[in-house]
Amino acid sequence: MNEFEWLRQTRALREPVTPRRDLWSGIEAALDAADTGTAAPTTRRAWRQPHNWLIAASFVGLSLFAGSLAVHLRDRTLANATASTTPDVSRWRPNDPRLAGAAVELDAANMELRQAIEQAPDSPALQRLLMRTQRQQSQLRQMEHQAG
Amino acid sequence: MDDVQAAASGDRAAFQRLYRAHVDRIYGAILRLAGYDHARAEDLTQEAFIRAWQKLSGFRGDSAFSTWLYRLAVNVALMDIRSRGSDPVTMMDEELIPDHGETPFCAAERDELERAIGKLPPRARAVLVLHDVEGWRHEEIGAELGMAVGSSKAQLHRARGLLRKVLGERS
Repeated sequence: MNEFEWLRQTRALREPVTPRRDLWSGIEAALDAADTGTAAPTTRRAWRQPHNWLIAASFVGLSLFAGSLAVHLRDRTLANATASTTPDVSRWRPNDPRLAGAAVELDAANMELRQAIEQAPDSPALQRLLMRTQRQQSQLRQMEHQAG
Repeated sequence: MDDVQAAASGDRAAFQRLYRAHVDRIYGAILRLAGYDHARAEDLTQEAFIRAWQKLSGFRGDSAFSTWLYRLAVNVALMDIRSRGSDPVTMMDEELIPDHGETPFCAAERDELERAIGKLPPRARAVLVLHDVEGWRHEEIGAELGMAVGSSKAQLHRARGLLRKVLGERS
């Protein structure tokens, strides 16, 4: 076989391939998460007005804000800790206890990744992890469906 | 306004139509670079479309949208290969690589060829797929993978030789 025949053989591999599953839902979820995460900086930019009196007033309010933020974060941490140890019965749960355990873990991972993406909306690694988690959740549903 | 312009201005439905129109070609290219690993190719395809959405406002129409999207997707797949850090071509057993005088070409069934390409080390596979399957020139491959033209040619020769060994030298 010469190079021309070889290239004819390999170029034949260059064909479109349809993915085994629809990838759009994962893309859309990642775009939604990114949109949510980018909304905050836009809002913050609107606050940056060059009024000295506002800057002075902000010093007064800053201490009050810091205090309330600390309380809020403490409450949120407690709420997250509670949520991570308490199964959310409103979500889908398989009948098989082994699959149900995996579903709880994947739900928790999904939630934590969404929170992380809100903090870092441009992180491809986080978005990839979220898509992988959603794919695993989808596979879990298929396993439940196949098991009857 | 066409779908590209609409998507660039934030129209998600237009972007979904672009996804539907181009996903098979993009997925095919990424699947070959990912060594026919469907799970990895699915992740990378999703990542490519997310990047496309993020960068679409910067698309100036200097090339066709399909070309722009294809190059972006290939870049995503190559970044994944680079992120794994190793240079598998240098890790190959030299005994597996034919002498320069030996022709590294061989005939194979399509499925066999795909399986054999999938077994190649990632970087060697990238050079072979880009040149022999996708039809890129060595200058383009060198620029994309950060190597000299001569290195790209040498890597291709090695990759073809390894592929011939994987296929069992049946021609």
